[in-house]
Amino acid sequence: MKQHFREWSVAGALGAMLVALAIFAPRFYEAQPLLSRLTDDAPTLIIACGMASIIICRQIDISVGSMFAVCGVCSALLLEHHWPIAAVIPISIALGAVLGAFNGWLVAGLGLPSIVVTLATMVTWKEALRWMRQGVLVNVGSAQWFGLSQIHGQLTIIATSLVILVISALAMRHLAMGRFVYAVGADAEAARLAGLRPRLVTFLMFVRLGALTGLAAILNAVQAATLQPNPDSGLELKVIAAVVVGGVAISGGRGNLWGVFCGLLLLACITPALVYLGIPPYWGKAIQGAIILLAVVADGVRNRKTRT
Amino acid sequence: MPDPAPLLALRRIAKSFAGVRALRGVDFDLHAGEVHALLGENGAGKSTLIKVVTGAHQPDSGTITVAGRVVEGLSPALAHDLGIACIYQQPALFPDLTVAENIGLRLEPTKPVRRVDWKKRRLRAAELLQRIGANISPESEVRTLSMPEQQLVEIACALGAGARIVIMDEPTASLTQKEQHLLFAVVRDLRKSGVGVIYISHRLEEIFELADRVTVLRDGESVGTNAVDDINETELIRMMVGREVSQIYPPSESAPGDVVLDVRGVGCKASGVHDVFLQVKAGEVLGLAGLVGAGRTELGRILFGLTPLDAGEILLNHQPIAVRSPAEAVAHGIAYVPEDRRRHGVILEMPIAHNMTMAIHPRIFPGTWLRFGAERQLALEYIRDLAIKAYGPEAPGGSLSGGNQQKVSLARWLATKPKLLILDEPTQGVDVGAKSEIHKIIRRLAKAGLAVIMISSDLPEVLGMSDRIGVMRGGTLAAILPGHADAHTVMAAALGQKGGPA
Amino acid sequence: MAASNSKSTGWKAVLRSHEFILFAVLVAEWVLFYALGTHRNARGMTVGFGSLDAQYNILRHSVEIGLLALVMTPVILTGGIDLSVGSVLGFSAIVFGKLWQDAHWPIAAAALAALVTGAAAGGLNAFLITWLRLPPLIVTLGTYSLFRGFAEALTRGADIFTGFPASFTFIGQERILGVPAQLPIFALVAVAVWLLVHRTTFGRSFRAIGFAPEGTRYAGIPVERRVALAYILSGLVSALAGLIYTARLNQATADAGTGYELAAITAVVLGGTSIFGGIGTVHGTLLGVAAVAVLSEGLFYADQPRELGGMLTGVLLIVALGASVVPKVLSKWRSSRQTAPSTPQPPAST
Repeated sequence: MKQHFREWSVAGALGAMLVALAIFAPRFYEAQPLLSRLTDDAPTLIIACGMASIIICRQIDISVGSMFAVCGVCSALLLEHHWPIAAVIPISIALGAVLGAFNGWLVAGLGLPSIVVTLATMVTWKEALRWMRQGVLVNVGSAQWFGLSQIHGQLTIIATSLVILVISALAMRHLAMGRFVYAVGADAEAARLAGLRPRLVTFLMFVRLGALTGLAAILNAVQAATLQPNPDSGLELKVIAAVVVGGVAISGGRGNLWGVFCGLLLLACITPALVYLGIPPYWGKAIQGAIILLAVVADGVRNRKTRT
Repeated sequence: MPDPAPLLALRRIAKSFAGVRALRGVDFDLHAGEVHALLGENGAGKSTLIKVVTGAHQPDSGTITVAGRVVEGLSPALAHDLGIACIYQQPALFPDLTVAENIGLRLEPTKPVRRVDWKKRRLRAAELLQRIGANISPESEVRTLSMPEQQLVEIACALGAGARIVIMDEPTASLTQKEQHLLFAVVRDLRKSGVGVIYISHRLEEIFELADRVTVLRDGESVGTNAVDDINETELIRMMVGREVSQIYPPSESAPGDVVLDVRGVGCKASGVHDVFLQVKAGEVLGLAGLVGAGRTELGRILFGLTPLDAGEILLNHQPIAVRSPAEAVAHGIAYVPEDRRRHGVILEMPIAHNMTMAIHPRIFPGTWLRFGAERQLALEYIRDLAIKAYGPEAPGGSLSGGNQQKVSLARWLATKPKLLILDEPTQGVDVGAKSEIHKIIRRLAKAGLAVIMISSDLPEVLGMSDRIGVMRGGTLAAILPGHADAHTVMAAALGQKGGPA
Repeated sequence: MAASNSKSTGWKAVLRSHEFILFAVLVAEWVLFYALGTHRNARGMTVGFGSLDAQYNILRHSVEIGLLALVMTPVILTGGIDLSVGSVLGFSAIVFGKLWQDAHWPIAAAALAALVTGAAAGGLNAFLITWLRLPPLIVTLGTYSLFRGFAEALTRGADIFTGFPASFTFIGQERILGVPAQLPIFALVAVAVWLLVHRTTFGRSFRAIGFAPEGTRYAGIPVERRVALAYILSGLVSALAGLIYTARLNQATADAGTGYELAAITAVVLGGTSIFGGIGTVHGTLLGVAAVAVLSEGLFYADQPRELGGMLTGVLLIVALGASVVPKVLSKWRSSRQTAPSTPQPPAST
């Protein structure tokens, strides 16, 4: 399994941590807090599914945090005005897709660098939201947990995110379109020569990431009675970190969603794990950073070896 | 091959690039079930001809007939549909994907919504690879394969696409003996199954072993087509070299002085160069001939510190020197005008004045402060001195023609006042006028006492310019010949022909 | 962005340059907010946007991001990026606060240690990017998290260092010769970076590396050392910004400078620096910083929400990007009408 070395080592690290927790801090596995933590991370997982294919396509999107906030607030506002949840979910997804399409048009259509484009849209959406909402909380009211009981709501959210993960992973592997994404990221020119349409593929991946972000936003919005419009959560960097740690190469063409899943869980578990292992939780961020660097340094050293 | 209707027929194909005529009315036939070798010096027009056949270039005039039908507006896609496949020296594969997937992406429809049948992909890849006798796992990633293995994957793609015309551009350049035999068996199989193969190679023995017919190109024209049984090596070399050379090159006037560069047993594992012994004297032009891949550029890169040596030593003016980076080489007075001037020689976006001073920052800008006046002065001097056609020192490098870019690249290195000047293909892609100007400059420099190494694939240039000729083959210096050696001797040494000086 | 880096003398080229257009936008902003945000009080004094105090406030508030943008410029010129500047700012502020308050170092020694910390942080980025040849985006994403994490760990997530002596808070709150005290420091750094980029061989090398890293190596320029310099400088000045931030607010917290990296990059790109490297100017960056600062502060004086300014900054950035592709699209359109390639194809390796 040499070609999936990275995925296996991340999975191994995650496994080791979970085993350590089982031995030294079995309280980590208590049902209710565990469920809450997983519910918290479910939207991030959905966005990571979209981000992984963007990075495999050799692009990046740092506007997901802003898109997430915009979609979340808009759908929460609709819920506040007693729109039915069944109507709000597709609206949120569609809104995300439109925002993603705008990024995709600037990147694939005009040929602008994705990092600057999404930096610009990130600033724009974020500040527009602040301007319009002025930090006022939105009351989701009875739509919390989709109007279900908390436990059912949590299970619904976790199940949705896992379904998205499985579908995405299967599509990336077994759908021709998924393989086109890898081909475009590996070598856009060779892809063009093989008869593919790299710009269209790139555009669609931005739309898809937007749509998934819209879905994630609504799943986040229903988790509390009131939604705080908080576009500064650093979500984009959290998602990118999970994707990179999970073995997706920033230079495109490599990686898979199972690795991303492990990477996300690894990073998400660190802070709670520290608490249970008696390590002060304020080390969490430094350890996250160290893990990201460790992952890329390992790649760098490995590349150096194969180069000579 | 008495087949009346050739698979591919080219008639009077002509193609020019910005006034340089690369092909001047070439005729070429390929029959089903034959291996037709294409031979010629570097720059004779082989690549251009191939690109016309694959649809990458549109010919200016002439007709292309495939299987009896005249083809208009041949594009890469149309060429693909007509069953024309080309295996380049540098395969265009997806390095991060597996062999099976690479073959799959080429052969499957480009419909985005359909299931990928991995089992079928693997089976087909395995079957195709087995048919060409390649021992490659369909599961391995292409980046882990060696260059010859990647070529075999390309061949498998061509086979899978049902290509009727397969073009192989120096397929054995990087193969070992064993891999070569394997490849030959594949080519023979292709021939047996009725495929027409255009085979480009510099190695004469391969042509005699494999080909049915051979066409020699020279200066964009076809010199002749012969059945290999009717011709021998000597005649082929004569056809390739052809024209008389002497007049157009400025005569050597300098008397070589003291030894400037002394290379003792230099080698570098990473670039395949080994055991090079070489001396260059002040005022001498040493031409470095050899085939592509013989290690000439690699030797230049070692001397300039781009790929530091791991064996032997380099002496400059009798002092052993360490050259671990270009910066060190520059400090020692070694200059290197690279082959790929658009990527390495000139920074296209920067003004030519900035380009010219890049290698002499410490000297022209003492204390790191830029002195625009001095820079402009120097640029104007070189623009006048080398007759560079540009609207001024602030013209960006990319706005100049190829020959003038080359002069800018040369000016950058002359400004360093080097002791040793290494020129790598100094006149490649340069028009005739600029070419002879560059030759005059080289002569003038040698006369002024510079030691010059001139790497060139242009045989007449090597013969016309060199005081001595070093011939490289297989990563080492195979022969050193006097400057008045004839083309036949040099070619024979480069090809490693039996009976030639080795 | 035509001819933004070549010394074009024609006034037409100047008028069309990115910097000039940005300058015009800045003047327009200023005039607009002067009209909207200035009035006279009962004693006939000018208050609001047009007053000197307001202008000084704008300066005070934009100095830290301005410093980060200044040193981000050489980094982006080399074709790189540094996402860790905001975290380095916070980390060095905490190092400073902790050394002074907990370890009882003299204030000058603590400040020096903070600067050294910043330079070392930049050195780590430089090491990973040049020696291991890792992509700057990912390396600095990692150190973005790492240094912020160090800051949080040092403060145990909660400590706030405050109560600094007036001799220190002076640089963030008081005036020297009538101008805000941080202004001379900023001007000094701005002039130094401008000279570095526009008047020394280092700046020339940064550009060359941004255009063609391999080609620059072929010219005998030590590419790794030049790139390393850009990142170390970035860390050092980020630490300086951390000190000024601490002095201005009289407190050092672990979240100091959060999000500043993106604000700095926005200002640099708005200032006409190409994210691909090679093209860009330091005065363009200064104009970019000023345009963003005047916009957000001006709206405040015009009784408009600050967030509107942020949003307009984003819009401005998108427009600037869109404008940058116009010449490219035009030239593509022009060249598509020519049949022959403009440069001769070298008859490569036959």
